[in-house]
Amino acid sequence: MTEPTDFELLELATPYALHAVSDAERAVIDRQLAAAPPSVAEAFREEVRAVCETMTAVSAATAAEPPTRLRTAVLATVQPDTGRRSRWRTALLAAAAAIVVGLAAFGAGIALRPSSKPSMAEQIMAAPDVRTVSGQLAGGTATVMFSRDRDAGVLVMNNVPPPSQGTVYQMWLLGDKGPTSAGTMNTAAVAPSTTDILTNLGSSSALAFTVEPGTGSPQPTGKILAKLALR
Amino acid sequence: MTGPRHSSDLDALLRQVAHHDADAFAVLYDHTRARVYGLVARVLRDSGYSEETTQEVYLEVWRTADAFDSAKGSALSWLMTMAHRRAVDRVRAEQAATARESRYGAAAVDPASDVVAESALAADERRRVAECLDGLTDVQRQCIEMAYYGGLTYTEVSQRLSANLSTIKSRMRDALRGLRNCLGVP
Repeated sequence: MTEPTDFELLELATPYALHAVSDAERAVIDRQLAAAPPSVAEAFREEVRAVCETMTAVSAATAAEPPTRLRTAVLATVQPDTGRRSRWRTALLAAAAAIVVGLAAFGAGIALRPSSKPSMAEQIMAAPDVRTVSGQLAGGTATVMFSRDRDAGVLVMNNVPPPSQGTVYQMWLLGDKGPTSAGTMNTAAVAPSTTDILTNLGSSSALAFTVEPGTGSPQPTGKILAKLALR
Repeated sequence: MTGPRHSSDLDALLRQVAHHDADAFAVLYDHTRARVYGLVARVLRDSGYSEETTQEVYLEVWRTADAFDSAKGSALSWLMTMAHRRAVDRVRAEQAATARESRYGAAAVDPASDVVAESALAADERRRVAECLDGLTDVQRQCIEMAYYGGLTYTEVSQRLSANLSTIKSRMRDALRGLRNCLGVP
C-alpha cells in the first residue's frame, strides 16, 4: 500500500472525528499519525478538536430527557472505593429517593442493601469489556452490567415488586449444561432498588428469572419471567 | 434539569468525578443527561438500546474521568465524543447482527427527534443550531445526517450517494466549517 501524503491524512481528520471511519481504518490512521511530522499530527488533532466541539454545540438540537429510571440505574451502579461507604450510601440514597417519588407504598420504608462486595462491582466496572443489558421484570427493570474478563456481573433491579409471601425470585445462568442457580432474592431483599453480584458467569449465554417456592429450587420450576442475553 | 452548565463548572465536576465523588457524578449526570441521551437516541432510534448505551457512557465517564485533559478540549465535548462513539459502535454492531431483518435501514434516517419540554435558554440554543444546519447545502446536510446520525463510514456514504470519496470528504469538511463558523465555535 502506498503511504498517503500528509494532505491525504489531513483530509481524513473530519471523518475520523465524526467516527465515520471503520475500526480498521481508524487503526491505520492512528498508526500514520504516530509516524507523521509533528506539525501534521498537530494540525490533524486541532481539526478533530474543532469538529468535536462543533458537534457538541450541535447536540443542543437533539437533546431529549431520558426516563427517570435511567438516573436510578446509572447512580446505583456507581460505587466509590471501599472505605468511603458514606459516599456510596449518599449515592444509593439519591438513587432510592428518585424511585420513591410516585411510590404509593412510601410508608413501607426502603431497605437499602449495599453490595457486600463493592470491590467486585468496582472491578467489573473497570473491566475494558464491560457490557450492559436490561429488560423488564414484573413491571420493573432488571439491569446487568457484566464482564467476561472478570467472569462476573452486577445486577440492579429497579421498581421490581417483591415476590409473594413464601416464594423468592431466583436467578439462573443459562448455558450449555442447562440452568444453574445464580442466587435468590426474598421479599425482604427486593427493595425499590436492589443490587447484587453475579459470579462464575462461565460460558452462560443468558440470565433468567423465575419465582420459586420456599427458599429456591435446585432447578427452575416456575416459568421464566425475564431473560437477559449476556452477549 | 438546567442543561450543561458553564464549561469550567463541568471541568471541575469531572475532576471531582475522577476522585470517585459520587455526589459530583450525580450532578454531572443531571447537567448532561439530556444531551447524552438525546444524541444516543438520535443515532440508535431504540429506547432500550439508548438507555443501555447511555448507561455504558456514564460508566465510562466514571472510570476514565481522570484521563480528561481540559487543555485538549471542553468537558462537554469529551463526554459527547464518548457518547457518539459508543452509539456508533452499537448501531454498527446491531446492523451487523440484524442485517437480514433490516431493522436499521441506514438510508431511512429519521428527521429531528421529538422535542421535549425545555427551558427558554435551551430552546434558543436549539433554534440557533437549527438555523446553522439550515445554512448548509442539501448535500452537506445529507452527509452529516448519514455519517454522524446514521453511523455510516464516509466510504459507505460515498457508495450510497454514488459520489467519489474525495467529494464526500470535502462535503463533510465544508459542512463542519460552515457549522463551526455559524455557531462561533473557537
